[in-house]
Amino acid sequence: MNELMTTVMIVDDEEMVVGSIQSFLELETSYRVLPFTSPEAALASLDDERVHTIVADFMMPEMDGVTFLTRARELRPDATRILLTGYADKKNAIRAINEAGLYQYVQKPWDNDALTVVIRNAVERCQMYGELAERLVELETANEELAGLKDRWMKAFL
Amino acid sequence: MSDTADVQTDRINQARLASLGTMVAGITHELNTPLGAIHSNHDVIERALLKLQDILEDEVVTPDELEEVRKIVRAMDGVLRTNGIAVERLVKLVESLRTFGRPDRAEIDRVDLHEGLDSTLAVLGHELKMISVEKDYGELPMVECYPNRINQVFMNLLHNATQAMPDGGTLGVSTSTNGGRVRIEVRDTGCGIERANLERIFEPGFTTKDGRVGMGLGLAISHQIVDQHGGTIAVDSELEEGTTFRVALPIELSPEHRALEGGDDDLK
Repeated sequence: MNELMTTVMIVDDEEMVVGSIQSFLELETSYRVLPFTSPEAALASLDDERVHTIVADFMMPEMDGVTFLTRARELRPDATRILLTGYADKKNAIRAINEAGLYQYVQKPWDNDALTVVIRNAVERCQMYGELAERLVELETANEELAGLKDRWMKAFL
Repeated sequence: MSDTADVQTDRINQARLASLGTMVAGITHELNTPLGAIHSNHDVIERALLKLQDILEDEVVTPDELEEVRKIVRAMDGVLRTNGIAVERLVKLVESLRTFGRPDRAEIDRVDLHEGLDSTLAVLGHELKMISVEKDYGELPMVECYPNRINQVFMNLLHNATQAMPDGGTLGVSTSTNGGRVRIEVRDTGCGIERANLERIFEPGFTTKDGRVGMGLGLAISHQIVDQHGGTIAVDSELEEGTTFRVALPIELSPEHRALEGGDDDLK
């Protein structure tokens, strides 16, 4: 999986936040960025989109970020999920992160370098899970082949 | 001045400081989002400039570099758009603050009360994020009042309404005219107030919130301000359904109320 195919989804009800992060990622990375100001629309798109990392704001009027990321996990269990949170919401956000099993949170106002590190690590984590899942499938196939071979040998020799 | 009056003055001052604190926290929160976007965009512009300088250094632009320039142009286009939105937000916020707390409005003036309600809602913006605001403004004449004080009443009522709905709800603000008076109604779909507490709600020091300094005086001060204008303030509430505050103010101050000087002593 190369970086060209890597997709990062950004969800925040504030267009200026989504737009700023999108501009930054488009300048500094080769990630494909999917920007959304509506969590409902973002969830609807997850049916068709392969997404590696999802960054979502905590305080959104339509749906809070933790609920959104929990529902996103049902649709795309392998995507790494990051919560974006204002200083005032930090305490609630941390509790929610633990409950929802999120990867990390990034505090607003964000630092672009720090955000890049968190997103890159999140993408890598997703890719590692993907590779691990592929190896597991290979291992299972090999195991089945081995079992079949064993059966044929038993039949041939006994 | 007697000791009791001193204590009362202290408490009113504490209440004002507490509401100032709430306002400052709110404004800080409101500034944070556009400033965060501008801060990030500034960084993106710096990075883009470095990339462009790097590309232009050898005075030859390769096809790969041309693609990079296109990428930079796309990023700059996004930066320009989001910076525009952020700056617009800041301008509106400053405008609201100016309307809310204009020093020249400490004196009697004829004002558009909708302006005061809207600037108060703008200052409370961060508290309204999970709340749906329904405005039903009627045709109002210019109303003679102390605008700063009336804004303080709006702030108290609207802030209380948001506090009653920590998990979200609907905040209704409506206005109408009835004879020589205007009516302002602030309605929430929050937890409601117990019947036994309703009668005491405008008493100084009465509060159902925790014992923070300055709490429990907002409604008492609001009552005094409205009273000082020759108006009335009333409350209706149903537990688990919500609370409605109704303020009625005369369109013209009576000579008796106009004679009151604008000094703080009136409120003690």
